[in-house]
Amino acid sequence: MTGSDSTSGSVGRTVARKEDWRLVTGRGNYVSDLELPRMRHVAFLRSPYGHARIQNVDASAADAAPWVDAVFTGLTPAIAAVELRALSALPSYIETAQPILARDKARFAGEPVAAVVAADRYRAEDALELIDVDYDPLPATVTAWEKPEVPVHDGAPDNVLLERAFEAGDVDEAFATSAVVVERELITNRHAGNPMECRAGVALWAKGENKLTLWSGTQVPHLVRNMLAELLGLPESNVRVIAPDVGGGFGTKAVLYPEDVALCIMARELRGVPLKWVEDRAEHLQAAAHARDHRYLMKVGFSAQGKITAVQADVTCNIGAYSVYPWTAGIEPLMAGGLLTGPYMVDNYRCVTRGVTTNTAYAGPYRGVARPATVFAMETMLNLGAAELGLSDLDIRRLNLIPEDAIPYRMPSRLVDDSGWYGRALEGCVEAIDYDGFLVEQKRRAEHGEEPIGIGFACYNELTGLGRAAAAGPRMPFRTGHDACTVKVEADGSVTVMSGVTSQGQGLETTMAQVVADAVGVTYDAVNVRIGDTNEALWGFGAFSSRQAVIGGGAAHTSGVALREQILELAAAVYEVSASELRLVDGRFLMPGVEQPLGTLADVARIAYMESNRLPEGFEPGLQVTRFYDPVRGAFSAGAQAAVIEIDTVSGELTILKWVCVEDAGRVINPQIVDGQIAGSIAQGIGGAMYEHLVYDESGNLSTGTLLDYLMPTSAEIPELSIGHLSKPADNPLGVRGVGEGGTLGPNAVLAGALHNALGVELTRLPITPARLWEALR
Amino acid sequence: MKAASFDYVRPESVAGAVRCLVDAEGDGKIIAGGQSLAPVLAMRLARPRILVDVNRIPGLGALRRDGDSLRIGAMVRHHDLLEQRHSPLLAEAARWIGHAAIRSRGTTGGSIAHADPSAELPVVAAALDATIHAVGPDGGRSIPAVDLFEGALETSLDENEMIVEIEMPIPTAWGFAELSRRHGDFGLVTVVAAEVEGSWRVCIGGLAAVPFRARECEWVLDCGPAGEDRIRQAARAAAAAIETSSDLHATADYRRAMAEEFTRRAIEQAVAATRAGAH
Repeated sequence: MTGSDSTSGSVGRTVARKEDWRLVTGRGNYVSDLELPRMRHVAFLRSPYGHARIQNVDASAADAAPWVDAVFTGLTPAIAAVELRALSALPSYIETAQPILARDKARFAGEPVAAVVAADRYRAEDALELIDVDYDPLPATVTAWEKPEVPVHDGAPDNVLLERAFEAGDVDEAFATSAVVVERELITNRHAGNPMECRAGVALWAKGENKLTLWSGTQVPHLVRNMLAELLGLPESNVRVIAPDVGGGFGTKAVLYPEDVALCIMARELRGVPLKWVEDRAEHLQAAAHARDHRYLMKVGFSAQGKITAVQADVTCNIGAYSVYPWTAGIEPLMAGGLLTGPYMVDNYRCVTRGVTTNTAYAGPYRGVARPATVFAMETMLNLGAAELGLSDLDIRRLNLIPEDAIPYRMPSRLVDDSGWYGRALEGCVEAIDYDGFLVEQKRRAEHGEEPIGIGFACYNELTGLGRAAAAGPRMPFRTGHDACTVKVEADGSVTVMSGVTSQGQGLETTMAQVVADAVGVTYDAVNVRIGDTNEALWGFGAFSSRQAVIGGGAAHTSGVALREQILELAAAVYEVSASELRLVDGRFLMPGVEQPLGTLADVARIAYMESNRLPEGFEPGLQVTRFYDPVRGAFSAGAQAAVIEIDTVSGELTILKWVCVEDAGRVINPQIVDGQIAGSIAQGIGGAMYEHLVYDESGNLSTGTLLDYLMPTSAEIPELSIGHLSKPADNPLGVRGVGEGGTLGPNAVLAGALHNALGVELTRLPITPARLWEALR
Repeated sequence: MKAASFDYVRPESVAGAVRCLVDAEGDGKIIAGGQSLAPVLAMRLARPRILVDVNRIPGLGALRRDGDSLRIGAMVRHHDLLEQRHSPLLAEAARWIGHAAIRSRGTTGGSIAHADPSAELPVVAAALDATIHAVGPDGGRSIPAVDLFEGALETSLDENEMIVEIEMPIPTAWGFAELSRRHGDFGLVTVVAAEVEGSWRVCIGGLAAVPFRARECEWVLDCGPAGEDRIRQAARAAAAAIETSSDLHATADYRRAMAEEFTRRAIEQAVAATRAGAH
């Protein structure tokens, strides 16, 4: 299946992906597929109320049912002994205590209240119907910018869990001298990652030892191991977390959920019995992390020439019922405040950003974290400023983008931008979309009374691969700047990589193999990659913040290079040549001026492991290296998108005619994987802009509880995408920039901008739907 | 999301199926393609004691032309409607039903019996004054489509009756217009305009609890040649007569406006086809 990729130099090529044979032929090994002897199945009873006191939980009938193995409630001592508290040292932060199963009160519809273990999921759900919960409903708060009647948590009477201010320059003076000042309220829509595979776990507590194994569709197995060990009082070595094939994550699975912990606690109570929970879509929509329910009160000043003079923002993020574990309620508001000004030169900036708890599912990391919303806010303000000044949407961007000669550029939030290729990205879009041709066609249609077309732009910067200094924002008690990688040569000369990266479908086995093949000097086919098992890789924080190519890739490269040096030293001693002249190419040892290879890596590996009698003086057996890598800062990725849309002014339907994206991924490891990441993220961005909307009614019930009402885009809704690459090498060993999220940042702004360009209408509330556009046009 | 427990029977004749329903004493449910029923079972919104699988009953999958009508067996799949050439209107309507996997399982009888007011086939059936042939313990009866649909997901079928065949006239001219949020979704508005035996039929789905026959609209069209003004007047009449409400996906005002627009589009399509045919 991968036989054709044996030429030297793997990085930069589209090689056949290591994982594709099993994944595309339906032979993947997902948690949902796992079957173990004596396995039992878990179902959770979930609160039907957005906010309610729990007066009593009567599980006696379920407990007595002959087909039920066990019932757990919030009062079960083993469950009640554990709670989740996401920690942060930020001054204003108020922690929340998230119970494993709700005890005194339910804080959102869908919060787990009880759990049943039975022989299969059907019977477990039958037993849920036998549990009688006495709820006393309380007034619910679903909108973050409304005052609560009854606070969600006693510790936060106004529901505000966290507030932070950013201030740079003299904002008031700048507004006073601005030619134009634009103010708007912009509201973005709550939606979520919705991976194809919902959450899933199998927990097994060893019968005779205090050892826990959790198979989980998590993006962060080492972090989960660390948290479970602490929560359950186990030595870390007694916890093993295995993430086998995972069907999508998008951030949703970078959270440790109460359901995960419940599964482990129940497994401890039922030692030797594997417990399986596979979330269904209804549970997922209700109770897996949501995102992007934000309000932006924006005020932006412009000079007469169109230069941004000042940006002021009041940002409210609905963080839901709990401060998400372990990322905290700061994840969206801090990202929003830090990146709001995007790739634009802004000297004067004032922003107050807050995370507000409500009776809705809690907000967590979701691909793009807050920036699809901030880019929408910033780009909308630019378009409005341009309209007032008589500038084009394109020219106002050209005027304000951070130029290349300003790099390194210190953003007003004090983040340091190392990119500066924003103009190149934008001009790439202008060319790819044929802007001049668009202008002619737009005019022609206007003159002939045909359906109008419009063009929209979005420019964005994205901080990826955050090292220890850049990851300091939320001030959590851990820093996610580093990953480890172990690379070893096996006795047969093949190379094994045990990396801390994880894959939810984005091809990390392939990427790591490409990096290591080049670093060591072997073919892509000679490299085998093992990921997703905490008993194998030394350490890895996992998949989030577009970090894995930068940090996990950096660790793989660094380890590979060190291993090559180790190999060459041994081989030089074996062949009695100079190590500095010896080269390892495609697994063969070459000396300058000698036509035939001296030998192969397999020859030397055999000596290292099997024939210690042939080991030269001073060499230990084995060939293995483990290295950590931390980029300390991060790498900014530049991106721009543009689209041309056509509008049916009678029905409000819009058709995307053309979509282009030009993005800087730095050095591209695998072009096809990079294109796949960008295409997928743009599709997800279009979903968020036009279709996906989690709606709560006033009492906190989720109105969009199935995929009949929560609309995800299908391939029929996504246009052909034209993707262009810039490759400004980043300051890390591989020169790469993260690319997993950037695509989601553009679509909100692009589509809203294109509507404004076509018709002059402002849609200040997302998503953009035909009904809303129709209302706006009336 | 797992169904509550039920018994399952698979009769091999219509009489056998009816007997199963009678034996279930009101607690039986027919399963055909299962494309609507299976999710409802999984969510435990329906919990029949006995599921009567009619997939193995011979003869229910036949589709044949009978003069100016099409006789469609209850088990004819949406995909078969899409492929047949007798009634281009039905083929077009079937194209709008869900996605390929849904169309290859879902059945005509199932869709009619489920009576979802946003589904395509009930709108076509009501527009064409289809006749629904059902069999119960006392034998067969024929039900006009407009009498079958009583409310959202409600029909006048007796609990022991099953649909065996749907008879639909083949229109001489037709138009089909639908507005949906995504490809394959139920329509926010679905309009069928058709000419049968020289008179107009216009039916709108997605707005009211049952497919809405726009009689005033039909009357306006039947009064004279369908020029642009008359079409607009007819579409206005259709929208004015319909009762609707707001929901997650659209306000009542938007739906009504779209009912008018898509009625106009459907009629224009039908008229354009007539004109093309005349030349």
